[in-house]
Amino acid sequence: MSKVKIGGYTAEAVAGFDHRTAIEEAARCLLCHDAPCSAGCPAGTNPGDFIRAIRFRNPKGAAEIIRENNVLGGSCARVCPYDRLCEEACSRCGIDVPIQIGKLQRYAVEQEKAFGMKILKAPKGKKKGNVACIGAGPASLACAAELAKAGYAVTIFEREKTAGGVLSFGITPARLPQKVVDQDVASVKKLGVKFVFGKKTTAKDLIKKEGFDAVFAGVGMWKSSMPGVKGEDLKNVVTAVDFLKKARTSGGFKAMKGKKVIVIGGGDVAMDCATTAKLSGAADVHIWYRRTVAEAPANMEEIKYALSMGITISENFAPKAFTGKGKVEFAEFKGRDGKSEAKVACDYVVLAIGQQAEDVTTLLEGVKTANKGCVVARKGKTGVRGVFAAGDIVNGGKTVVEAVAEGKEAAEAIIAYLSKKGVK
Amino acid sequence: MAIKKDLSIDYLGVKCENPFFLSSSPVGGNYDMVAKSFETGWAGVFFKTVGIFVADECSPRFDNTNKEGTIWLGFKNMEQISDKPTEKNFEFMYRLKRDFPEKVLVSTIMGSSDDEWYQLAKMSEQAGADLIEGNFSCPQMTSHAMGSDVGSDPKLVEQYTRAVVKATKIPFIAKMTPNITTMEPPARGAAKGGAKGVSAINTVKSITNLDLDNFTAMPVVNGVSSISGYSGAAVRPIALRFVANLCSDPELLKKGIQISGVGGVETWRDALEFLLLGARNVQVTTAIMQYGYRIVEDMISGLSHWMDERGYDKVDDFVGLALPNIIPAEDLDRSFQILPAFDNKKCVGCGRCYVSCYDGGHQAIDWNERKRRPELNDECVGCHLCLNVCPVQNCITPGEIKWKRSPKKKAPVVQKSFD
Repeated sequence: MSKVKIGGYTAEAVAGFDHRTAIEEAARCLLCHDAPCSAGCPAGTNPGDFIRAIRFRNPKGAAEIIRENNVLGGSCARVCPYDRLCEEACSRCGIDVPIQIGKLQRYAVEQEKAFGMKILKAPKGKKKGNVACIGAGPASLACAAELAKAGYAVTIFEREKTAGGVLSFGITPARLPQKVVDQDVASVKKLGVKFVFGKKTTAKDLIKKEGFDAVFAGVGMWKSSMPGVKGEDLKNVVTAVDFLKKARTSGGFKAMKGKKVIVIGGGDVAMDCATTAKLSGAADVHIWYRRTVAEAPANMEEIKYALSMGITISENFAPKAFTGKGKVEFAEFKGRDGKSEAKVACDYVVLAIGQQAEDVTTLLEGVKTANKGCVVARKGKTGVRGVFAAGDIVNGGKTVVEAVAEGKEAAEAIIAYLSKKGVK
Repeated sequence: MAIKKDLSIDYLGVKCENPFFLSSSPVGGNYDMVAKSFETGWAGVFFKTVGIFVADECSPRFDNTNKEGTIWLGFKNMEQISDKPTEKNFEFMYRLKRDFPEKVLVSTIMGSSDDEWYQLAKMSEQAGADLIEGNFSCPQMTSHAMGSDVGSDPKLVEQYTRAVVKATKIPFIAKMTPNITTMEPPARGAAKGGAKGVSAINTVKSITNLDLDNFTAMPVVNGVSSISGYSGAAVRPIALRFVANLCSDPELLKKGIQISGVGGVETWRDALEFLLLGARNVQVTTAIMQYGYRIVEDMISGLSHWMDERGYDKVDDFVGLALPNIIPAEDLDRSFQILPAFDNKKCVGCGRCYVSCYDGGHQAIDWNERKRRPELNDECVGCHLCLNVCPVQNCITPGEIKWKRSPKKKAPVVQKSFD
């Protein structure tokens, strides 16, 4: 048996728990007083309580705790950097290894579906106040869900044809299957949130023409950063954003079958690109990163997942130029030491060195922007009256769970604004 | 070289290569099974109970209790005595004794009248049994003339024992039911009738789990179920208690009754506990049903290592050593409190000691929220609930001794090792 394991493009990377293995893992939990894991979750998903529910044979209760606290609990269970959050905080680390909190969360969310539970329901008493959310990614979904739970009418405007944002277009389905994203989105829909797809709009129009009382923008960061080197416009030099989206919407990036692919970058997106290339059938996938694995922002789990497929990582090399006739044939790198050089033959280069905000001057007229084109906002509030923003577009690109946390926080700001404004 | 110790012990005049026997149950119900167990290392068998009555069993017939993924904490079975023809069973026994003369064959029998007990005893003798055990204790017999209903009536136990003793000179062991307040009366009845040994315990009448679809107990037999015998690790504490009672009963001691301990033995340590309380023989079933005969290998090796560690050369040297230290609650020394000592370096900050002390103890632990560490206050009574609940080995241990009344005496003897 090969030590290198490569599944299909949509085959799940890790098997989940069943009832017995879940309860066994939950039994390892020390059931801490004032559980540090719960304090470790930015979105307040409350692992301490949901693990206790699993442990005391109450999987439905566990599913409720997760869904009520984190409307994207299913997706977060798959893509959260637990090793830096709840699992790092786990007291069991003092004995051996932390509880597999993410995997238990996945199990609990799976029970929601297995039992056909409808946890979130739109409240009977509606409040006056009509909010528009632009973008259907994590921050918007979380914000919309909070507002809907509080009784406000919410409409999400998404320029794509499906909801999920980065969840649906930017992550390998092996790590985050579409059905998990759909389950999360469905729970937002059940709250009565309306979705309008394929429509481009602006905050000004939504307020002035369409009569919304407030607008929230959770539009993410969809512009790939470019290294600014010679040959980056050659054919077959693709950006992570375009590459992952194409793969996600067409069952893998089939043109890479049998090809030699170079991925440049050291974040989770770079790892996702590399594994996507490999799962799409690329013969040889090699990650090149300008720093070291130790310095890389990618999760260790993601790095290990890439390595498990036989993907290699070269440290301390930054791209210098891409060359070839008509299309890329070689990638050239310069060493961090100022002396080393490398020239590598390849069929494709995927640039995953970071993302930037798209231009928001029309979309969010009047808001201030800063680094990478990000919107300046504090606790969801931009400087423009009635316009709110959170998630990647504000924080510059962090995790899904942080986008959820910030979306929830922005919802509070919107509720405060609407009350103050006198919308009743 | 793996350790080799002499584990032999004499039980009712029969030399046993070690004290570990199969108890009368599904694990010793035919020739092939018992032969395999002997080859694995078991010293003897209490063969599956033979009667004139031949059982007609239900399906399914087993269930188990579990906790957080640990299955088989306890085991429920609804099987009765052997479902094979009486002669067939004695033929198995005959062949076993012929092929394994060094191993100990105990014929376990159950009659429903003096005559049946007499006949079965005779047949056991003809089959070459070393010992005979009378099953007065199966809780799931379909007739009230047999099983635990008999075992809870000292007069009937005595009467049937006499029937056996009249038939044969082979030493007779009466197997007791725990479904009774005190076991001494039926055991004395057996002794009076001429029994030489007593086995304790048979299974505990139980309902293990309810089936929430059919609203009945488990296992579900065509929509309903019955109360029946519970065994396995969960019943060991009950078995140990009965064995301690029997081993210290003056009347049984006077008659030289030897006890065989049964109930929840899985490891050498479990078996040793029975021996330390005075049992000279230990029987196992449930753990074998779960793990197979091979568990005896670790029982033999583990007990040998313990003997080596403690410098014992033979099992007889430690049989009954714990018995004098089990005393009535009114005789316990209540003059001191042992306060818990917390090892802050080992502590992982889970706060379980704090939660349990508050909700189930004496609110004697304050919780330092910032440091996430317990701090003992003056309310401590030395109950050691914290020590029992702590998930970290040797993190909370017995510490300072607080005398309730002066003058101070010699430091009390305390537990040294905690698993």
